[in-house]
Amino acid sequence: MKAHDKFGIVRSTIADIPVDAEHAAHEITVHIREGRFQRSLALIAGFTGGMSGLEVAYEHYKGSYSNAIMYTPVILSQALLIAGVSGAVSRRAARTILPTVSAITLVDCAIGFGFHIRGIQRKPGGWRLPVFNIIMGPPLFAPLLFGMSAYLGLIASFLRRESASRFARPGRVPLPTVSRLLPAKVQRDEIIELQEVREGRFQKHLALSTAFATFFSGFEALYSHYKNNFKYKIQWSPIIVAGLLIGASLGAIWKPKVAKRLLPTASALAIANGTIGFCYHARGITRRPGGTKRLLYNIIYGPPILAPLLFAGCGFLGLLASMFRRER
Amino acid sequence: MKTPLFGAFGAPGPKHMLGAMQSIDGRMRKYGNQGEVDFCIVGVGSAGGVLLQRLARAGFSVVGLEAGPLWDTERDWVSDEAGSHKLYWNDLRITGGEHPLTLGANNSGKGVGGGSVHWAAFVPRLHPSDFRVYSEDGVGADWPICYEDLKPYYELLEREIPVSGPAYFPWGDPHGYPYGPHPMGGCGDILINGCTKLGIRVCIGGPVAILAGSHGKRPHCIYRGYCIQGCKVGAKQSTLISHVPNALEHGAEIRDSCMVSRINLARNGSSKSGTVTGVTYFDSQGHEAEQKAKAVIVCGYAIETPRLLLNSACPGFENGLANSSGTLGKYLMAQAGNVVLGRFPELIRMYKAPPAHAMTEEFYETDTKRGFARGFGIQTVGPLPIAFARQMTIAKGAWGWGMRRVMMDYNHWGAIALLGEILPWPDNRLELAAEKDKYGIPVTKVTFNLHDNDKKMIEYGKNKVMEVMSAAGAEEVVQEQRYAHLVGAARMGSDPRTSVVDGFGRTHDIPNLFVCDGSVMPTQGSANPGLTIQALAARTADYLIAQSQFGLKKGAHSSETPRIRYDLSPPDTWGKGVPHLK
Amino acid sequence: MKAKDVKPGKVIRVLDASTRPIDPATGKPLEPRAQPGYYPGYDVLSQQAFWDAATRKVVLDRVRKIPPIRFFTPDETDLFRAVCDRIIPQNDRDSDHQIVIVNFIDERLHENRLDGYRFENMPPDQKAYQLGLRAITEIAQHLYAKSFLGLTTLEQEFVLKTVHDGNPPAGHDIWKRMPVHRFWHLLVQDIVGIYYAHPYAWNEIGFGGPAYPRGYMRLENGDPEPWEVEEKRYEWEAPLGSPSADYGAIAGMSEHPGAPGQRGTH
Ligand SMILES: Cc1cc2nc3c(=O)[nH]c(=O)nc-3n(C[C@H](O)[C@H](O)[C@H](O)COP(=O)(O)OP(=O)(O)OC[C@H]3O[C@@H](n4cnc5c(N)ncnc54)[C@H](O)[C@@H]3O)c2cc1C
Ligand code: SF4
Repeated sequence: MKAHDKFGIVRSTIADIPVDAEHAAHEITVHIREGRFQRSLALIAGFTGGMSGLEVAYEHYKGSYSNAIMYTPVILSQALLIAGVSGAVSRRAARTILPTVSAITLVDCAIGFGFHIRGIQRKPGGWRLPVFNIIMGPPLFAPLLFGMSAYLGLIASFLRRESASRFARPGRVPLPTVSRLLPAKVQRDEIIELQEVREGRFQKHLALSTAFATFFSGFEALYSHYKNNFKYKIQWSPIIVAGLLIGASLGAIWKPKVAKRLLPTASALAIANGTIGFCYHARGITRRPGGTKRLLYNIIYGPPILAPLLFAGCGFLGLLASMFRRER
Repeated sequence: MKTPLFGAFGAPGPKHMLGAMQSIDGRMRKYGNQGEVDFCIVGVGSAGGVLLQRLARAGFSVVGLEAGPLWDTERDWVSDEAGSHKLYWNDLRITGGEHPLTLGANNSGKGVGGGSVHWAAFVPRLHPSDFRVYSEDGVGADWPICYEDLKPYYELLEREIPVSGPAYFPWGDPHGYPYGPHPMGGCGDILINGCTKLGIRVCIGGPVAILAGSHGKRPHCIYRGYCIQGCKVGAKQSTLISHVPNALEHGAEIRDSCMVSRINLARNGSSKSGTVTGVTYFDSQGHEAEQKAKAVIVCGYAIETPRLLLNSACPGFENGLANSSGTLGKYLMAQAGNVVLGRFPELIRMYKAPPAHAMTEEFYETDTKRGFARGFGIQTVGPLPIAFARQMTIAKGAWGWGMRRVMMDYNHWGAIALLGEILPWPDNRLELAAEKDKYGIPVTKVTFNLHDNDKKMIEYGKNKVMEVMSAAGAEEVVQEQRYAHLVGAARMGSDPRTSVVDGFGRTHDIPNLFVCDGSVMPTQGSANPGLTIQALAARTADYLIAQSQFGLKKGAHSSETPRIRYDLSPPDTWGKGVPHLK
Repeated sequence: MKAKDVKPGKVIRVLDASTRPIDPATGKPLEPRAQPGYYPGYDVLSQQAFWDAATRKVVLDRVRKIPPIRFFTPDETDLFRAVCDRIIPQNDRDSDHQIVIVNFIDERLHENRLDGYRFENMPPDQKAYQLGLRAITEIAQHLYAKSFLGLTTLEQEFVLKTVHDGNPPAGHDIWKRMPVHRFWHLLVQDIVGIYYAHPYAWNEIGFGGPAYPRGYMRLENGDPEPWEVEEKRYEWEAPLGSPSADYGAIAGMSEHPGAPGQRGTH
């Protein structure tokens, strides 16, 4: 239990993940099943947000930050990172800062999506040249993919914390202030839904999100590999895996069995694929003219180094979904 | 997809594909040529466009007379090499000397925007050393101004254009660019590979006046490689797109297809002094007309400017206006622009991406070990088929089946080029020939000779570029001699006995006659001149604005440096861009 | 065959097998094709819907509207056509896909469309062409005692090679009025400028052609756009003994490199 002592501080402040490997897997599964993993999810939201923020940073650098609004996702991504970490550390932050930052980020992503649609329209030929202008224009779905992190942050804010007792009744979720404006019936439905989230019963919901995220990420892989003329056969793999994962996620909504069997497999495949892709992209960068001597430039204009990791993130989401309980 | 959605792109309607940017919609203010305007600008090109915009925005009445058309880019320009001939100044000029320059397509533009319409848009700054070549190396000349005088204008124009490039540019006075760098095309990769192998530092993705990111209504570059044919997209800057629309909004008038034939002078009695009263020109119908102005600024390019001044000779000014020094038309410069072509086993397809996208200035400064003063740069180029075929007639002496064969390999060839500093020499000059053009104005005769230092520089530089090409993996390397970028011939200086204009472009001889274009440059460095020309124009504009309150006809009120008018930049200049070294 | 008998613009050349390039594997002449070059199946014109209207018009006019001969006399036209056929031989193209050259140069001279300059020791372009063609006739007479048109293609090439090499054996009074290499320069630059402006020639060399509003996306590694094709090389040799198959410096260019390229690059 040396490790336990050694990481004692970490353990007590960041996550209640037991170090003992035997218990670990079981404990985590139970936590997730029961919706008691606010800390972990806050961290995940923070880190994926921070990571896509890096991608936004250099993608927008390629667009020269020609509009000051292009700085907002970069700033928000770092805010999300901070909010995620603080959500993991403090219960209060998880209920206040995290949902606020996540909500703002979501709005920003929606605006960004609008800007990207307009950006494609404003390229010569506009939407009449969809293939060319989607490939050469602003990445269409990138803002939505980034939005997925914010969405996770939002969910995290409704979960229970890992330290919450297994047997205690999950407390009631206070409704967000805006919801008070809605009709009573809608409010009631919302409460039920949030309550389910709190109890880890939202498998279908998360499976659907997985399908969306995978679509966004897979679509990006499709057109950027197409831009590269599918020079290596392996460039097809994320597209195939994405298809599989989307299928499995949608299937999971339809049948619990799919959620239990197919979804974890497809998700694991996506995680593996993303990891391998990351290595390929890293290699691709060093193989560019100037190689490591022009590292920064080659990262910016070489294969997008973080994109495969975001794809792996989709697999992770799927895995999470497969572990949840289904909605009542 | 066999066609774009909804079928082929049709003729542009009243609304242009890219909005108002492509044609100057809206009404232009007309001054009529009865009255006197504050400023008359001859030639609305690189320098003229910037000047026009500044003066109009500052509230002066200003008329720009331009020999060529006011382009409607969507209708007039084509995405085709042979079809873009009309962008150049194609009227007759005679060229001679031991190393005659080719003119026309190789040099100046005709039409609003001038040379910036067809430039490749490389926009490096001059180095601080360029301003004191004579003091440092004992050759060429010193400028009457120094780098620090121009630096704020470089920074300003780099934002207005705006320039894309790395956040850190290591040579000269290190600086960075407001827009990010561009992706590479085949020739850029060749330059990077070659330089990296040889341990030469290289700058990638700029500095170019091509948008990496949108700018107001102007879209991001689409990497079509037709920059020299005029950028229909509007991604490449020309003053036609960056400054002229704003000038017109602020009440400037451009009279296009008007060729100025002489500058008119009111002499002070029988003395050798006087002030200009305006210009005589042939309008688009070929009728002669006059425009009176409080001051005239000639911005007609390093050939047409001295030609006009020489042709305006009159009693008291028998050798041409502003030529008491006898240096008008002399010290004409061109940069050595040898193109080095290499054949690669793999495909390159160099017609994609803008020709200008990577460069090195590692050899820019004097290095005594090399045995000559000053230096050179290496830049990417991307000749399209006709240019390439013509290069092959010289570089390989190709014709007949040999030509057909090498052209079938067009996609295997890549090209990079030398850009070397040729020094100013008095015998490199321009005179009026006996032959006349269609207006009856004598045509120009240009004489050009290389001197010892120039020849050594070209030999060394050319070999260095060929070395880079070989290091990049070319299996066959050939080269073609070429010159680029004419400047000089109405140079600035502090001594009226050896120069035509002062540090602000005011002629030493006539207080309200100014020159503002590449012809004022005393030396040229091995940086492409376009940015310097536009920066000088913005500086001259500030000077004109500051001095005009005292009346320009009286001469310099004080030689104080004018305040920099940051408020006169066109819209969209501020509040965006990437973090970069200032 | 005399071009006079033919509609303007439509040119039929003698497709004698010995004038065609050779397949080194069989030693036999290659069959004329609609599209020589290493990009079989590539057709730039198939992309015209993606071009802007102004460009489409310029390029299609080049293919469809052949200007009439107005500057050259009929005899000069025949002679010049034969010269063009040697400077850019098209014997490997079938007669439907040959690129008309003479008419476009004639149009330029007729309209006095200049390149913006003239070397001080050169007569105006029009005069230069007339003189040059006369000199070529004289060289043919001197070497073979025949008119240029009466020579075999190989003999014609040898006549032109003397001009390329800067040592023409005849026409000395003409060469006193204009330097040999300057005339060669003018001639070849004009002819290649017409040939490689044509979309058929773009197909031959695999050039992407006009690119607006649609630009390019695969900028590096010579990758083809989705609508371009991969290179498929084949071996071919110039007709046996053809002097233009070899490369050699244009005489006069190397001693004083006074004929720099005309096209701007940067
Ligand atoms: C192919 C090519 C590529 C180039 N690439 C680059 C590059 O990458 N970077 C760079 O910095 N530079 C480049 N240049 C050079 C650059 O274009 C010129 O140096 C610059 O445009 C010169 O500016 P200017 O103001 O002196 O003259 P111009 O821009 O040529 O303007 C002169 C204007 O005056 C008009 N004019 C002249 N005389 C009269 C008259 N009598 N009456 C009325 N109007 C008149 C002309 O029509 C013209 O519009 C390139 C040039 C060429 C040819
Ligand atoms: S490459 Fe870019 S800048 Fe050049 S013409 Fe094309 S779009 Fe314009």
